[in-house]
Amino acid sequence: MDLFGSFALLLAFLCAIYAIVAGILAIRTRKPLLMKSARQAGMAVCVLVWIGFASLIYLFFTDSYWMAYVVEHSNRALPTFFKVAAVWSGQQGSLLFWSFILSIYVFSVLFVYRGKHPELMPYVGVVLASIQLFFLTLNNFIVSPFQVLASPGANGAPQMAVMPDGNGLNPLLQYKEMVAHPPMLYSGYTGFAIPFAFALAALLGRYPGEKWIHLTRRWTMIAWGFQSIGVLMGAHWAYAVLGWGGYWGWDPVENASLMPWLTGTAFLHSVMMQEKRGMMKVWNVWLVFLTFWLTIFGTTITRTGLVSSVHAFAQSNIGPWFFGFLGVIFVVCLVAYLKNRDYLHSENQLDSMISRESSFLFNNLILLVACVAVLSGTMFPVLSEWVRGTKISVGPPFFNAVNIPIALLLLFLTGVGPLLAWRKTSTESLKRNFGWPLLGGVVVTIVAIALGLREFYVSVCLLLSVFVVLTIGSEFYRGARVIAARTGANLLSAAGQLTMRNTRRYGGYVVHFGIVLVFIGICGQAFNRDKQMDMAPGASMQLGPYTLVCQTFDSTPYPNADAPNYTAERATIEVDRDGKQEMMLYPERRLYASNQESGTMVAIYSTLKEDVYVVYAGRSPDSGQPVIHAYLNPLVKWIWLGGVFVILGTVLALLPNSQPVLVMRGATQPATTGAQPAVASTKGYDRRE
Amino acid sequence: MNKTTPRRAYLAALIGIALLAAAIPLVVRAQQTDRAKRLGGKLMCMCGCGQVLTQCNHINCPMSGPEMKELDARIGSGDSDDLIMQAFVQEYGEAVLASPPAKGFNALAWYLPGIAFAIGLGIVTLAIRQWRSRQVLRAATPPAPISDEMLERARRLADRETDDL
Repeated sequence: MDLFGSFALLLAFLCAIYAIVAGILAIRTRKPLLMKSARQAGMAVCVLVWIGFASLIYLFFTDSYWMAYVVEHSNRALPTFFKVAAVWSGQQGSLLFWSFILSIYVFSVLFVYRGKHPELMPYVGVVLASIQLFFLTLNNFIVSPFQVLASPGANGAPQMAVMPDGNGLNPLLQYKEMVAHPPMLYSGYTGFAIPFAFALAALLGRYPGEKWIHLTRRWTMIAWGFQSIGVLMGAHWAYAVLGWGGYWGWDPVENASLMPWLTGTAFLHSVMMQEKRGMMKVWNVWLVFLTFWLTIFGTTITRTGLVSSVHAFAQSNIGPWFFGFLGVIFVVCLVAYLKNRDYLHSENQLDSMISRESSFLFNNLILLVACVAVLSGTMFPVLSEWVRGTKISVGPPFFNAVNIPIALLLLFLTGVGPLLAWRKTSTESLKRNFGWPLLGGVVVTIVAIALGLREFYVSVCLLLSVFVVLTIGSEFYRGARVIAARTGANLLSAAGQLTMRNTRRYGGYVVHFGIVLVFIGICGQAFNRDKQMDMAPGASMQLGPYTLVCQTFDSTPYPNADAPNYTAERATIEVDRDGKQEMMLYPERRLYASNQESGTMVAIYSTLKEDVYVVYAGRSPDSGQPVIHAYLNPLVKWIWLGGVFVILGTVLALLPNSQPVLVMRGATQPATTGAQPAVASTKGYDRRE
Repeated sequence: MNKTTPRRAYLAALIGIALLAAAIPLVVRAQQTDRAKRLGGKLMCMCGCGQVLTQCNHINCPMSGPEMKELDARIGSGDSDDLIMQAFVQEYGEAVLASPPAKGFNALAWYLPGIAFAIGLGIVTLAIRQWRSRQVLRAATPPAPISDEMLERARRLADRETDDL
């Protein structure tokens, strides 16, 4: 099977070269047969990568301990569930996983648009095959996962060696969420290759109009949605596994996933300017270039050891390849832009500073500044070492100080932007749309301050959160009221109809609502409390309104059905409130048999109001008793709940409208109804694919 | 007046003083803990985990325990915040600070987001000016007769702009 997988990847590499050459020839000669051949070669690349990846999974499942990569990352006692995660836990497997996810996207694009857009698709095919070629070069020749173990034989010649068992999987990765987190994040990262390919293709081929944006809107949203899930799952993993009581430590790997998300979010907003008004064409092209570049850059900084991270599980000497690829991307984009920049002229102008257009401009500005802040903070230690030869740290205090004001500005624009009209917004409209929500925000904040809220940023965030929620609510209410008046449906049903009539708009509002929940959840951090103490069985600790009582402390025998590959020390903590038992928690410390590495398993009692987060930190060297570190983290659940709304809104926005969006059409004949100057569209007008 | 009153008053005063004396160390310890947390939040664990000192919870971490003990000791000996930070920098190097001090080359880290914002704002302002000047230029040009092609273009534009995004 190792030969089979290895051969499939080699064949994929050759097919990718063919797809590029045939694609370029097809662009030059315009021969349909050559176009078809290039497309089919591109699809063959994808199928071959799938075969290669399936071979690697098979090798893990069959405990093939003659394969170096399997020995390094798996062992016989590892539950099957985690053997899946082990496939991408190291450098070689994770890069093949990149190729695998990318090939799913590429195949889908080539299949969906087969025979369509003959002016554009050959370019798209060449760009995508070129990206695939880079990763297949790594998969085949630099960090192949199909290397077998060898030892010197009797005559000194190397012969294949078989190990009795493997080294096992990193304990930090033996967590159920870790099986889903990388696929989500990789789907986000690789997904941005699609809008990148279309943008570059449209620029190179001088493809007319905004078609490339219409074609890629859904692909971009899918990538963005996956990126959002990936970022949030990473945060949840850090919260539930690392055991330091927080979910976001501004670690380089976390930052690497956040940067393309920020630019991707900016792109999702600014494309609307191009779709609606034919503006910001240069900006959009560069934004999508930057987003893709950042996905590769993020991978580079964490996989090459340029910056250290607790999340980086795979590092090797592939730096020059990635830096070279980043350089190539930049040069190709720059040359394509310089040669074809006249094609990107704006069709319209800004009519007013108080308009949807200007809010998008500022939204993009703030998102980009946030990205620069994260990027500069992440890379500054490297820069400092280069320039001064002195190592410095840039940690959470820096990122929080810089990013909190930026994030609040963004929250403000989240509320303001959608309610401004295109072209120009009148003062009356401003008063009508913003008066009550703003008043609501101010009132709630004053009440909160009167009740004892003293943190400045939290107060501002509360004001803005209420403001945004009320603006979103008023948008739904106004639309639903009109539908309810027309159809006689109740308001809730009318709101549902309204959403389904324009899924993009109202899906976007649901995403904004989710973002507000995330902000509220983050605000809770200002009120975190924690306590650490040695707790013998029977001892208790008071944490806010909760009493934590250590009931027992024991070790689980090894192996058993629940713990097939580790032994654990476990405390049983009873959580009481007002004298009543609320929950039993079991924080653990595990020692994995295969590699003698240990890991913590945090126990969390989560409610909408707060999380009781209990860590067994080990035995006290003084008393020999278990050391329990307990945290009371308010509002954390709101973050995960916000994530659910973000995904829900993204899915909604991806759905087609249930009814055509009402648009005004130019009357070709004199209107017969007299009162109506134009005719409402009678056919589906959602031109965006 | 009852004779026992001064005695009771003395007793009460003594108990009060004793309670106060007992309470003072508790209060001081509580203050120390908060201060240690605050200062620990400004320092990094130097084991290479990249985490803030108060957040590092690596099992058997060789650095965070000694660093915390040192921090407690310095707080206990009455050192000021600045003195404690300086002592840590002397011992572990600048990398022990969780955020770069805003002076010298390190100040660049703090200025970069602001510089980016200023440049971005400049670009946005420039773009807006360009767009608006084009508008003024168009307004000054006498209107040309409307061709069918222009009319169709205007319709397409109206379609697009009235589409309820």
